[in-house]
Amino acid sequence: VPRLRALLAGLVLTAPAFTSVLAAPAPACAAGPGPRAALVVDTGASVTTYCVALGASSVDGLELIRLAGRQHGLAYSFGFGGQAVCSLAGVGPSGGDCFAEYPDFWGFWRGNGSGGWSWSSSGAGGVSVGGGDIEGWTWGSGDSGSTHPAPPALAFDDVCEPSGGGGAGSGGGSGGAGGSQGGGDSGGGDAGLVEPGNDEEAAGSDDGAQSEGRSPSRSKAEPRRERDRPTPSPSERAAPDGPDIRAAGARADDPPGGPPAATYLAVVAIAVLVVGGRLRLRSRGPAR
Amino acid sequence: VSAERGSRHPGAWIAWSTGAGACAFVTTNPVYLLVLGAVAWFVYASRRVPGPTARSFRVFLIAGLMTMVVRTALVVLGTVTVEATVFAALEGLRLAAILVIFGAFNAVTDPFGVVRLAPRRFHEPALAAALALSIAPRTVASVQRVREAQRLRGIRISPWRALPALAVPVLENGMEDAVMLAESMDARGHGRGRRTRYRPQAWSPAAVVTVAAAALAAAAFIWAAFGGWAELHPPTSPLGWPEVDTWLVGAVLLLAVPGFGPEGER
Repeated sequence: VPRLRALLAGLVLTAPAFTSVLAAPAPACAAGPGPRAALVVDTGASVTTYCVALGASSVDGLELIRLAGRQHGLAYSFGFGGQAVCSLAGVGPSGGDCFAEYPDFWGFWRGNGSGGWSWSSSGAGGVSVGGGDIEGWTWGSGDSGSTHPAPPALAFDDVCEPSGGGGAGSGGGSGGAGGSQGGGDSGGGDAGLVEPGNDEEAAGSDDGAQSEGRSPSRSKAEPRRERDRPTPSPSERAAPDGPDIRAAGARADDPPGGPPAATYLAVVAIAVLVVGGRLRLRSRGPAR
Repeated sequence: VSAERGSRHPGAWIAWSTGAGACAFVTTNPVYLLVLGAVAWFVYASRRVPGPTARSFRVFLIAGLMTMVVRTALVVLGTVTVEATVFAALEGLRLAAILVIFGAFNAVTDPFGVVRLAPRRFHEPALAAALALSIAPRTVASVQRVREAQRLRGIRISPWRALPALAVPVLENGMEDAVMLAESMDARGHGRGRRTRYRPQAWSPAAVVTVAAAALAAAAFIWAAFGGWAELHPPTSPLGWPEVDTWLVGAVLLLAVPGFGPEGER
């Protein structure tokens, strides 16, 4: 038993050091001249786009979301060990089980750069996003690219201005985004074409069907959002939005600073059981 | 041994360990898992069968802690973040809780008593299962016998060199055990359809209560897992405090019920 106690104590003492040493330092990413990628988040009710400064030549799909959270205040939470996207912009399950609201879940799409989308065959943690890439996330049901709703037809230039400057040229950008809005629908409607390897075809059909409208609520919500969000002003970018990100993980009813009340009950129960068991062992004698 | 007066029907302990295992299986919430571990410890302390098998609890506890450490260390293979480390540690804690529950089960009941419960046609698979279940406690007991024998003969070996010196007699013991078991089964007419049931054990009220408590606890957790009314997997990315449901804490505490009551009985 003393050896066990030493082992436990050792674990407790080393655990924080272990995690703090291994924790990757958060890179400070301001929107600079470096490579940028576009991120499209489609909750089904509204579409928001983010122009994200990568801070490296390429990042993985999950890091892109973290960067969007840091630079633009996108609320997100990951699950399954940080390998899957549970919630974005407040939509989706808040726990660690990203399929808690199945059949609805966040589908991951990769853009071909000219408005077409292909269903990603690998997880966001396993793809590499470089400068000029566009990635999309849509909330909805359907387990494949043919049934899951696709993001609206957007190209990298619709989200990030070619000029490369912070907030410059946002008016032009939003115009482009608005124009391609209608086409987004056909991306969803013709989603059968939007399969990995069929990007060209899918993009072509999008262009041909631009006049088709989306559901009324969506087409109303989008242009305004698009105009507001594509490139926030430099001041917005400079302020990393920490509290927003946390809010995505915590529920409204538990205080962010400490454990909920039932935890104390559990701690008391553990103490009583451990001490009670110890007393019982002692009263029954060591060897019988 | 299991038919001793005051002992609980082995079926009650099967139900208890299955229920507790089901609770641990569906959650990675550290609060529920730690309460489960404490409950297993309490039940072990109150109801262990005296003898070498009772020591298997400690072995399983250590195995559980090692599992947790190894599971956490495996994070190094992927992208190392605080979130991933915490997630892996919680997964490891779940495995550790299941191992501790299994250790308690091993310590409170005789695995061979379990075999007798199987319907006649399933006797042989049940025997194989009981043998598999009892390998750990029997090995622990065997290791202790061999070390004692070595100590009595004045053989002092450093702990690391002791492994080969220990492995051979322990394996030999295992073989002997198996041969003896086979002989005794043959002598009792196993495999020839001549088996009779000797002194079937009755279901005491305590055993029935144990089964009911385990079933309730497991039902609450499975309901929560499928109904989604409580958070069984705390968010790990970004990290947040696990949400704890009072009802589920109560459900886990139900599993401690078989530990209460007069100490003479099991």
